[in-house]
Amino acid sequence: MAALSELRPSHSGPSAVNPPHETSGGPDDALVRAAQHGDRSAFGLLYARYSRMVHGILLARVPSSDVDDLVHDVFLQALPRLSTLREVSRFPGWLASIARNRATDFHRRAKPNDEFDEQSASAQIEQPAPSARHSSHSSAEAHAILDAIRSLPDAYREPLILRLVEGMTGPEIAARTGLTHGSIRVNLHRGMLQLREILGRKASPPAGGAL
Amino acid sequence: MTTKPTDPEKEKMMSENYLWDASGTPDSEIQRLESLLSDFRYAGRPLVLPAEMPAPPRKLLGHLLHMPSLSRLAAAAAILLALGITLFFFLRPKQAPDSGPAWDVANLQGAPQIGTKAIAANQTAVKLHVGQTIVTNGDSRASISQADLGEIRIEPNSRLRLLQTDPNRKRIQLDVGTIHAAIWAPPGTFVVDTPSAVATDLGCAYTLQVAPDGSGTLRTTLGWVGFHLNGRDSFIPAGAMCSTRPELGPGIPYFEDATPAFREAIAQFDSSSQDSPTRSAALAGILSEARAHDALSLWHLLYRTTGPERAQVYARFAALVPPPASVTRSGILNLDQSMLDLWWNSLGLGEISVWRFWEQSASPQPSPNSQQLLQKKQSLLKQAP
Repeated sequence: MAALSELRPSHSGPSAVNPPHETSGGPDDALVRAAQHGDRSAFGLLYARYSRMVHGILLARVPSSDVDDLVHDVFLQALPRLSTLREVSRFPGWLASIARNRATDFHRRAKPNDEFDEQSASAQIEQPAPSARHSSHSSAEAHAILDAIRSLPDAYREPLILRLVEGMTGPEIAARTGLTHGSIRVNLHRGMLQLREILGRKASPPAGGAL
Repeated sequence: MTTKPTDPEKEKMMSENYLWDASGTPDSEIQRLESLLSDFRYAGRPLVLPAEMPAPPRKLLGHLLHMPSLSRLAAAAAILLALGITLFFFLRPKQAPDSGPAWDVANLQGAPQIGTKAIAANQTAVKLHVGQTIVTNGDSRASISQADLGEIRIEPNSRLRLLQTDPNRKRIQLDVGTIHAAIWAPPGTFVVDTPSAVATDLGCAYTLQVAPDGSGTLRTTLGWVGFHLNGRDSFIPAGAMCSTRPELGPGIPYFEDATPAFREAIAQFDSSSQDSPTRSAALAGILSEARAHDALSLWHLLYRTTGPERAQVYARFAALVPPPASVTRSGILNLDQSMLDLWWNSLGLGEISVWRFWEQSASPQPSPNSQQLLQKKQSLLKQAP
């Protein structure tokens, strides 16, 4: 019987930057082990802790309107495979890989039916969320910024989205993705530098460039 | 690969405390970006998990090493054979990606969307593939169909996703909105996941509504439907309806022609907690207003009550529809399943073994003998009155 049960992610409040969760590997390792042995609540806690990271990784690659569904998919894909993960400390990187693969798969599957085109998608897809707090002008600007981040190299767009969109701190990003503090810090710095350049260019187009 | 930062870069980087961990002097430009981008932040939504967690796999290598040598050889041969078969299927010519299983989609009104792409009014050969979502806004309607399944009409403001379309299991997820389903596939084949219950078609037509808060209502117009969550079942025959709420699951089903007072009492009972004073008043209202036809609700109430409450339900139920000869009061009060099933069958609402069979056979993983299960299900159907 395919009865379902719900696990709700717990998120901190509306502050711009969420306080870091437990950053040591220990508690998560224990959760991963418990989930490997079929503990549903442990898997629910992993979902609560890692769903923002998965969301950020997906948002860096696919239209925002599809990301929530894909977050769900990633965890449902991870669930049956979890028992094959030998080193539980590698869970963050392992989960991030599933998320990246799911994003790739999304584009592969979308092609036959949708002829997905990122440029038109940017124009059509990124509709303001129902809960949008900003005016349509700000919303358009937000979409332009998101597109600008997505145009950055992989190594920069993920940490930037996790920091600027998901509100995670650098140490939290490092803990959740399994990467080192140094690598995240460098990528945030370089990514921000490139983003400022792109946004600066957009703000002041070269003379004669306007239509 | 991240190249090492130069010393000036390192110095600049270390001064960006706000970018790193939101400490130090706030950077106004970063704050502005955070504010603008906050609408894209993950709002969180419940994760819907299968009831059974997958069992951890046995450690194959460990087992192999501890096997007697002959068995080890046999196991190694089996693995090689499996590898060969896998390679054969992997290397053989692939089907075109758009020839995979998909459902036909028709635009009934407005501009419904599959994922991000609108379906034009006159567009033909539109397909909904597994994993794709169809969305209707306030002005649009659509239908999805499959030859061996049936047709599902999707009303405005709905969001539906195709999860599975195997020969013996078609599964969709209705996040929000309304669908009308007319199903001709064998009972138990078509399943709809909602945020608060799973609806299983048992040969019928029905309307399912899901509100933005995850609650839902199911109305059966033909045949019957099973509504289920975490071991809590409701069977909804034609002419009846049932509500469901997140975390609580399906409530007590009732016939739509019941008196308003009966319906009100059912709603109150469903929303009352176990120790709530309103619950006993609601139960009293249900029992006093019940007609013989409302035995449907009383049968379900036996499962949702305990002790003296269950005895009250039994007394009223037995007064309205006397139990079959082999059904005893103590058996019912102890929820003896065979007696409850006998009593249900005497109500003339359909053969309960169809549902029981589905409960036992429809595990989350496809069963290796699924074809046999399907045949058995069909033979059960033929036996049903």
